[in-house]
Amino acid sequence: MEQVLTIKQESKVLEVTENVLVIKSLYKSFGENHVLADFNLELRKGENVAVLGKSGSGKSVLIKCIIGLLVPDTGSINVLGRNIEELSIHEMDELRTKIGFLFQSNALYDSMTVRENLEFPLRRHWIKLSAGERDKKVMEVLTNVGLAHTVDMMPVELSGGMRKRIALARTLILDPEIILYDEPTTGLDPITGKGISTLIKEMGEKYNTSALIISHDMSCIRATADRIVMLIDGRCYAGGTYEELRENKDPKVKQFFE
Amino acid sequence: MPLPPTWQQFLDEAGGLSRFTGRFFSQGFKPRYEITELLRQCYIIGYKSLPLVGLTGFIMGLVLTMQLRPSLISYGAESQLPAMVGIAVVREIGPVITALIFAGKIGSSIGAELGSMKVTEQIDAMEVSGTNPFKYLVVTRVMAATLMLPVLVILSDAISLYGSYLGINIKGVISMDLYFKQVFDALSFDDFVPAFIKTYFFGFAVGMVGCFKGFNSSKGTEGVGRSANSAVVVSSVLIFILDLLAVQITDILGLN
Amino acid sequence: MAKRAINNVKLGFFVLAGLLIMIFSLYMIGKDTNMFGSNYTLKVRFENVHGLTSGNNVRYSGIQVGTVKRVKILSDTLIEVSMLIDTKMKQYIHKNDIVSMSTDGLMGNRILNITPAKDGSPLAENGDLLITKKSVSTDEMLETLDKTNKNIRDISQELKLTVLKINNSSALWKLLTEETLPDNLRASSFSIRKAAANADGMVQDLHTIINDLRAGKGSLGSILTDTAIAYNLNEAVLSIQQVGNHADELVRELDDLTKGLKSDVNSGKGPAHAILKDSTLVIKLNNSLSNIEKGTEAFNQNMEALKHNFLLRGYFKRLEKRKK
Ligand SMILES: Nc1ncnc2c1ncn2[C@@H]1O[C@H](COP(=O)(O)OP(=O)(O)OP(=O)(O)O)[C@@H](O)[C@H]1O
Ligand SMILES: [Mg+2]
Repeated sequence: MEQVLTIKQESKVLEVTENVLVIKSLYKSFGENHVLADFNLELRKGENVAVLGKSGSGKSVLIKCIIGLLVPDTGSINVLGRNIEELSIHEMDELRTKIGFLFQSNALYDSMTVRENLEFPLRRHWIKLSAGERDKKVMEVLTNVGLAHTVDMMPVELSGGMRKRIALARTLILDPEIILYDEPTTGLDPITGKGISTLIKEMGEKYNTSALIISHDMSCIRATADRIVMLIDGRCYAGGTYEELRENKDPKVKQFFE
Repeated sequence: MPLPPTWQQFLDEAGGLSRFTGRFFSQGFKPRYEITELLRQCYIIGYKSLPLVGLTGFIMGLVLTMQLRPSLISYGAESQLPAMVGIAVVREIGPVITALIFAGKIGSSIGAELGSMKVTEQIDAMEVSGTNPFKYLVVTRVMAATLMLPVLVILSDAISLYGSYLGINIKGVISMDLYFKQVFDALSFDDFVPAFIKTYFFGFAVGMVGCFKGFNSSKGTEGVGRSANSAVVVSSVLIFILDLLAVQITDILGLN
Repeated sequence: MAKRAINNVKLGFFVLAGLLIMIFSLYMIGKDTNMFGSNYTLKVRFENVHGLTSGNNVRYSGIQVGTVKRVKILSDTLIEVSMLIDTKMKQYIHKNDIVSMSTDGLMGNRILNITPAKDGSPLAENGDLLITKKSVSTDEMLETLDKTNKNIRDISQELKLTVLKINNSSALWKLLTEETLPDNLRASSFSIRKAAANADGMVQDLHTIINDLRAGKGSLGSILTDTAIAYNLNEAVLSIQQVGNHADELVRELDDLTKGLKSDVNSGKGPAHAILKDSTLVIKLNNSLSNIEKGTEAFNQNMEALKHNFLLRGYFKRLEKRKK
């Protein structure tokens, strides 16, 4: 924890406009299916960027490449100043603790209770934490997503939306510096969705974290994103603020805002 | 030279399993060690299998005794029953039957568990949270299976022999003392040690195949069922192949 | 967390139980294998070890005392077997004790048997060479059985003849109306008759056994590898032979005696009982009589032992039934 804190302090000292994530000419294909072709992206510290694209356009593939679950064909990915290609397994694990990742499918551990799901990253990375502190942290993130009462339930006992929120809580529990959200509000009612959007926004402001938000939910994007990137045909087709893109005349861009 | 598709598939499997095993040896003995998880897996894989293994062992000992009895009586060698059952159970039936039951219970559960973790991206989630899923999930399970099966086999042997003792006493009379004395008189280290050593390999095979099948499960719930199923089939076949190898090695070493 | 601690307790219990059973079994197995505890080496040489290998058991008068350590070929006709013997046996095993090879139980593990020589030779030291006795193989057994079978028939006929002679020789009876000799003679003639009857039965039994064996009936083939039976049978056959020899002797001597008596009477050399007091002749006669008695007794004992052997018990019962 101390280590994480010192790094945080260091990064605060650094310039605010520093890039925490730089993706350069990324290519990824599955056989004949060229999902990503020459994709470029920069994410600055404290910035929330939304990635918008049709279903199957490769948004999930993109963030899986960033976290190292998928290996890109070519191109470089630089996270917190380090090229992930050059990292050893151990260093990669270390780096991953600074990245929060919300799975589209939630990926909660079915065999563990909600508490154990949330404790899992804590136990492994904040080893020095006492049981009491651990409990406090778990309750804190659970309260943030409004599910403190489910702490001793199993994931199967929860609704889809509740699972999404537990997964969100797990994403945030290690106080990451970069958060990759894969559709954080899908399957939620508008009210809870709004709550989550606010939470994402707050996280960014409170801890100066950066986020990449994949979403089709325009209200969420409007509420959270400083900037939007359109992923079309495997590359960064267009970019800008919500307002800028809404005024864009390109039919491919336009269809998203109708 | 093009291979028939079934052959290609088989070789693909064999190659994949070998690589997976190689990965186990290259990663399994380096830190960090997942001791807590290992103990938890030992508890689930070992302790929780005891009732099933004990029950089958007991019935096996009892039935074997009752089946052997008539033919031994026709040879007038009824008094050899404890010796015969003892050797059969310790050398072959105990290890192999227990390993097969173990493959059925543990192989399928590992295959299904890891398979469903794979298809619901839980394994990815683990990797993302900075935990090496191979170490956390595979190494612990393989180690637990390797370490626990021998213990299970010993306990199952003991329970089998007790079942056989009861089996003899259904129709005849023998004291517990005399029974176990005869059993141990008939046994030598050459019976016990190779049989014991091979159970480690059986356990390793069951754990390894279960994890391999689960870890490489294809997407969808159907893939989970298939990995569980083929984990049992492949590990059962492997148990027999290893048993064949074991008997030949002991033969070459002159331990028979 | 508390649950996890309890699980660990259960796991520990489980593993410890397995470990304890394993240690206990290893100890129980090891008790007989000399792997633990001190021991010393004795050697013995055979022409043929019939598949004896290291690890086979060594027994002293039937008690497990050690194992075979190594089998080494010395020359084309000589094989040396080293035995590891429990040190506790050092005070019992003598230099002249006899080592024989036999089979343990039905399934035929080779074992070495040390039989006490009872001749007061010094105790055997580490590395000493003991004496061997040839073991009986099934083939040899069958051959001997076949041969002795014929002998037995001859012997029993001769025995019958002797008894007849003794019974019918009225002149002899008159001569022997007093002293101990006549009593002895009467008693032994009874024994001889019994022995003859036994031998007759034996001949029949053996005949059936051999016929059954030839026909490959039942499990007798495997039974004959059982050493106890083989031993009994062989001993029985030997005693029959002995009885036969002694009876032969007796017949000859009685013949001599009657001839002598006749010639003495003819040549008018005094009363017959005076001749009978001739010490050498009397001693000879007495000896042969007691020999016959001993022989028949041994034979009867062996027959009984054979009948009580559990493997052949059923066989003899069936035989009796058939006779009825
Ligand atoms: N492991 C994989 N193997 C083969 N093809 C894959 C794999 N993962 C993704 N793809 C392909 O990559 C393309 C992009 O998939 P991806 O999951 O990134 O879509 P997405 O943009 O996230 O869509 P959605 O909005 O529905 O989640 C799809 O055509 C998919 O078939
Ligand atoms: Mg997706």
